[in-house]
Amino acid sequence: MIQLIVAGLTVGSAYALIALGLHIILRSTRIVNFAQGEFSVVGGLLALTFAQTLHVNTWLALAGATLCGFMLGLGFERFVLRPAARSGEAGLTIATVGMVFVLLYGHALVPGWGSLPQPLPAFSGEASDVFHVAGVAIQVQSLWVGALLLLALAAMYVFFERTYFGKAIHAAANDPLGARLVGIDVASARAVSVALAIALAAYGGTIIGPIALVGGAGGTALTIKGFVAAVVGGLDSPAGCVAGGLFVGVAEKLLGGVFSYGVVDPLVYSLLLVTLLVRPQGLFGKRVAVRD
Amino acid sequence: MTTPAPLLDVRGLHAGYGALDVLRGIDLTVGAGEVVAVLGPNGAGKSTLLRAISRFDASVRSGTIRFDGNDLLRCTTERTVRLGCLHVPEGRRLFTELSVDDNLRLGAFTTSRARSGLEADLAAAYDRFPSLAARKRQTAFALSGGEQQMLAIGRALMAKPKLLMLDEPSTGLAPQVVERIFSIIADLGRTGTAVLLVEQNAYLTLQHAHRAYVLEGGAIALSGTAHDLRDNERVRDIYLGSSSA
Repeated sequence: MIQLIVAGLTVGSAYALIALGLHIILRSTRIVNFAQGEFSVVGGLLALTFAQTLHVNTWLALAGATLCGFMLGLGFERFVLRPAARSGEAGLTIATVGMVFVLLYGHALVPGWGSLPQPLPAFSGEASDVFHVAGVAIQVQSLWVGALLLLALAAMYVFFERTYFGKAIHAAANDPLGARLVGIDVASARAVSVALAIALAAYGGTIIGPIALVGGAGGTALTIKGFVAAVVGGLDSPAGCVAGGLFVGVAEKLLGGVFSYGVVDPLVYSLLLVTLLVRPQGLFGKRVAVRD
Repeated sequence: MTTPAPLLDVRGLHAGYGALDVLRGIDLTVGAGEVVAVLGPNGAGKSTLLRAISRFDASVRSGTIRFDGNDLLRCTTERTVRLGCLHVPEGRRLFTELSVDDNLRLGAFTTSRARSGLEADLAAAYDRFPSLAARKRQTAFALSGGEQQMLAIGRALMAKPKLLMLDEPSTGLAPQVVERIFSIIADLGRTGTAVLLVEQNAYLTLQHAHRAYVLEGGAIALSGTAHDLRDNERVRDIYLGSSSA
C-alpha cells in the first residue's frame, strides 16, 4: 500500500509538472497544448543523450534537458504558435496536435533515441537502491523525485510571485490589453511563458527517468493524464494542478493494485467526467466570477 | 493656441475598425500641461479617437498624429507608453489577479526600474490616492468601482506620462467619487501633466478643462475654451440641459 502510494506520488510528479505547464500555456495563449507530454518525452531523451554521449551525471543532464526545453519552447512559440495564432484559437490548438506527431515520429528518427523506452542513470547510487520505513522498501530515487518537484515548484512560485519580471508575465496573461497599456511586450511575455512550460515538461520527463524510463510513445498519455490532473485540481489554480497531478498518480497506482491494467486508464480518465459533473472548477479552483 | 508646438497634434485623422469608418477628419491639439476635453453623444467617436492615438486597436486610414516630436503612427502601444502617452480606457484593464501594489509597480514597467525611484513614486501614488494605500495587499478585483478607477489612473501615472488620456472616468461612479476624480484631473494639469479627457458629464468637465472639442458623427462640431463652450447656446441645450449651469 505505502509502496503503491510512493510510486503514485513519483509518477504523479511528472503529471503535476505537465498539468502546471498546461496551466501556464492555457493562461497565456488560451489554448491547451496537446504536445505537452511529447515535450516531456523529448526532455527525458535529451537528458539520456547528455548522460550517455557526453557522460555527464544525471544532475547536469537534468539541467541541460531543462535548458534545452526552454529553448525548444521559445522556438515552438515563435515558429509554431505565433504563426498559427493568426487563424484563431482553433488553429492554435490544431497546431499543437500537429506538434504531437512531429515530436512523436520525429524523435524515433534520432539515432540512439529509438522507440523503446530506456532508463536514465540514477541521481545517486543505483536505481534499485532502497531504504526501509516500517518494514516497507522505498526507492531512494523517489525521494529525489519529490525533492526535485518541490524545487521546481518553489522556483516557479518565486519567479511568478516575487520577481518584477515574473509579475509582468503574470500581468500579460491576466489582461493582455492592460499589459500593453503599461508598455509590456505581450508577445515576448507569452514566449517566455510557453518556454517555461516546456522547460517544466522536459524537467518532469527527466526527474522520473531513473524510475519510469524515458522515450517511447507515451507522450500523449502523459498529456491526457496531466490534463485530467489539471481539471481535477482546478485548471486556473497552479497549486490545484500540482495536487491534481499527485492525486491522479496515486489513484492510478492504487487502482492498478486492485484492477487489471486495462481497466485503470479508463477509470483514471473518468475522473475527468466526475470532476466536471460534480465540481467543474476542480478541487482548488475558484468559481469564475466576472466583473467589468 | 499661442504655444509653438503642441504636445499632441492630431491632423486630418480618419480612423475606424475593420470596414467601419468612425472618425472623419479630426484636427485636435493638446499643449503641455493642458486639460482638454472631448464631449459628444454616444457613438460620436470619442473613444475611437483615444484608441487611435494610443495605437490600441482603432486603425488609422489617413492623417497624422504627432506626440512630443514623434510620429505615433509608426509606434506600437508599448512604444507610445515609453514616449509618455498613457491611455486609461473604458473598462480600465487592471490586473485583477494582482495586488493593488503590484498593479502600481507594473505601471512603472517602461520607466527606470531603479528601486529607489520606484518606491518614491509609489509613495507619491499612495499620497494621491489614500484609499488605495489601505488596500495595498488586496487584489484589484476586490476594489470598488471608484477605487478601480483611481488605481487605473494611479497605474498610468506610475509611467510618468506627459499626456494622460482618460476615457469616461466618471461613468458609473458615485457623485463624491466623481468630484474627487475631477479634482485629481485638475491637479494633474497644474503639475504639468496634460490630460485628454473623454466625458459624458459635460457640466463637470467644462468646469475643470481648459479647452474642449465637441465631437458629432466622427467630426468636430465645435471647439473652444471651456468658458466659451459653457456659454454656447447649442452646448447648453444639448449637453448641459436647461436646468444646469
